[in-house]
Order: sequence, then structure tokens, then C-alpha cells
Amino acid sequence: MSSADLPARRPAPGPGGDDRDSDLDWLLHRVARGDMTAFEAVYAALAGPVYGLICRVVRDPAQSEEVAQEVLLEVWRTASRFDRSRGSAQTWVMTIAHRRAVDRVRSASAQAQREQKSATAAAAPADEVADEVEASLDRERVRRCLESLTELQRESVTLAYYGGYSYKEVAGLLSVALGTIKTRIRDGLIRMRDCLGVSW
Amino acid sequence: MRLLRHELHILTGAYALDAVDGRERDRFERHLHRCQPCGQEVLGLRETATRLAVAVARVPPPRLRERVLTAAAATRQLPPLTDLSPASRPSRRWVPRLAAGLAAAAVAVAIVLGVVLAGRQHQLDAAQARQQAIAEVLNSPGAKIASRPTSLGGSVTVVISRQLGKVVYTTAGLPPLPRSKVYQLWLLGPPRTRSAGLLPLPVAGRTVPLLAAGLASGDSFGVTVEPAGGTAQPTTAPIVDIPLLP
Repeated sequence: MSSADLPARRPAPGPGGDDRDSDLDWLLHRVARGDMTAFEAVYAALAGPVYGLICRVVRDPAQSEEVAQEVLLEVWRTASRFDRSRGSAQTWVMTIAHRRAVDRVRSASAQAQREQKSATAAAAPADEVADEVEASLDRERVRRCLESLTELQRESVTLAYYGGYSYKEVAGLLSVALGTIKTRIRDGLIRMRDCLGVSW
Repeated sequence: MRLLRHELHILTGAYALDAVDGRERDRFERHLHRCQPCGQEVLGLRETATRLAVAVARVPPPRLRERVLTAAAATRQLPPLTDLSPASRPSRRWVPRLAAGLAAAAVAVAIVLGVVLAGRQHQLDAAQARQQAIAEVLNSPGAKIASRPTSLGGSVTVVISRQLGKVVYTTAGLPPLPRSKVYQLWLLGPPRTRSAGLLPLPVAGRTVPLLAAGLASGDSFGVTVEPAGGTAQPTTAPIVDIPLLP
């Protein structure tokens, strides 16, 4: 899984550096030992982001629910592989969720459907972000930071992450050279990182 | 070569968003083990992506919780990696810069492959174990197949191995239920009725083949509609009832 792919790094505060992350870390360690109460707490904290992200990528509610179930069960099953030095607990879970969602939409059977959607998809994500972002401060900050990107950076990042498209597909959707898209995604994310004050 | 490295480094963003596929991803993952700054950048960008995920959080249907907890209770967890396992924390030990000779290079390749594969391996392990258990039933001598329509529409198909005391079942075309209900599976027996779990959500109308073990003489296979999360004993009449071991 993601954590194994990455170089080691000393423990550091997660995004925001708040207690929530260390709580989740602790809970995941409990989960690894089979503690069902800890797992229920992890579920309470992360099922919303997991389900929301998967819905965003997969779209179909029934399939999203199915993928969310797989992801959360995966968290239970592989909790012992979570390594704090390679990212926060929340990111460990969200990385699993995003990969599973992307696997689902990039599978052959989903291809035809996606081809139909791709024409309208290009314009959608940024607007939808604006729609859904209302309540929490988190959402508000993300929205503000997304707005601070150039249009191409924002579209590249949201199509890749929320749309679940590969960067090559993003390049096709936006009719931009591959090299440009790679750079825009990276620049856009770095700007988001700095804007959000992610300290990892 | 410098250009190539530079281009690889540029991929940190796309990689952090799972937007790099196939061979290019494999190549980038190998690169990550040589390029510490790249790896650290990926970590930071993944944390950033997590913020994007949290911003679109959505309350899941309540039944998801029950399904996940029920499934977790029936799922064995992976043990932690130990120092002996080949993929254990390999990236802490960088591929030796001064490694001389083919042997060292081969070890390095093995470590990198181990890392790349480790993540997918456990998924494969579980899927393989499941498939193997199912294949065992399908291939056991005297296995019998039966298929019955349900009273709500659709059908249930079972393959029974008397020898193993196991049944493999799958469903097709069962009508979707409201969120507050689930299909629950039962081994209905004269000795007692046991829950065989909740039916997972179908894919394209069909559920993946699943296994129930511990069949007893006189058992039949039943499906009922129950409140989300399931019940200890059936509370409604079975929509299908297939004799397994008459």
C-alpha cells in the first residue's frame, strides 16, 4: 500500500498539526490489535470523507457504497501496516480510498460509460466543489485555496483527483501537452499545500 | 538521462493523485526509492490531497456502518510485517550506492519489486484464498448445483459439496432493497438456524460467489429480508428455500 512505497521520514505533525491525527494514529494501532471499539471510532471519523471522496470519483451511489465498504474493511484488515512515519492515519485511509475508487472507474467495464461522461466532466468538478463547500471551515479553506490556483492548475488537479482521471486523460480532456499537465498538477498541488499550511 | 530524471520528478504531483498508470507508475515507484526528496514531496502532496477529500465528505447511508462492522467481525486481520518478511520497511534502507556486482543489483531489484508488489499482494492473497476455497467446492466429487427463483424475482444458485460440508452461492437479479433493509442468508436446519451473513451489494445485478461452511444434514439455504445490519434469527418468511443436504 501507499505507505510502503515511500521513503521514511521522521514523525511530524500531520495536516494542521492537531490532536485529531494523533488520536487516529492511536486508534489505528488499537485496530491492528483487533479492537472493534477503536474500529468503530475510526469509522465514525473517516467514513464520511471516504464515502464522499468515492462518490465524487465513482458517481454511482450503489457502486460508491460498495467501494466504501471494501475500503473500510481494508482498513480493518491491514491496520497493522499503517506506518506513522510515512503519513498521517487519515491520509493512509484516504489513499486507500482514492486508489480503490480510481481502480473501479478505470476498469474496462466502466470505460464506455466514462467516455460518454468525459465531454461534460471537464467543466463540472470546480463548480461542484464550489457548490458543496459551504459548511465547514475546512471546506472553505480548500475552496479559497483552489481559487488561488491558475485555471489550468485547478482544472488539472480537480480532474485528476475528484475526476479520477490519469494525467494523460486530463491532458486529453483539456487539450494540453502531457508535459504541461504533469507540471500544472504538481505546481497546483504545491500551491495548495502551501496555501493550506500542510506541514508534512 | 538528466532530462529523464527531471521528468520523473515532475510526476510527484500526478503520482500523489493516483494519476499515473501502468509501467510509468512502476518506473516512478522505483525512482522514489532512489530519490528521497521526491518521496518527501509525495508525502506532503498526499497530505494535501487528503484535505481535498475531507472537503467533499458526505454522510454515508447508515446501513454501511452495519455492513462494515459485520464484515470486519468476520475478517481475519493481517499480522504486522516482521524483520524477516522481504518487504519489511525496505525503503528505510536505501539501495546501496556503492553496491558492487550483479548480486547486489539483483537484491536491490528484488527489494524494489517487493515494495511495489507488497501493497497489492495482500489483496491478491485474500482474493486467492477465497477463490481457492470456492474452487475446492466446485471441484469436489459429487458437488451438486441447484438454482431457484425467489418470490421477489431474480434467482439464487448454489453449489453444494456434501463431502466438504460447504455451499457456494450467488444471486442474480434480486430487486434492490430500501436502505433500511438487507438480504440475509441462512442455513435453515432442523438442529438450528444459523445466519450465513448478509448479501453484499450486487455488481451488474449479480453478487460474487460466496461460501458458507458447516452444513448439517437436513439444512436448506434460505434468504430473508431483514432490517439493516441483519438479525440473529429470521424475522420474515424466506423468499427462497433450497434444500442442501436432504
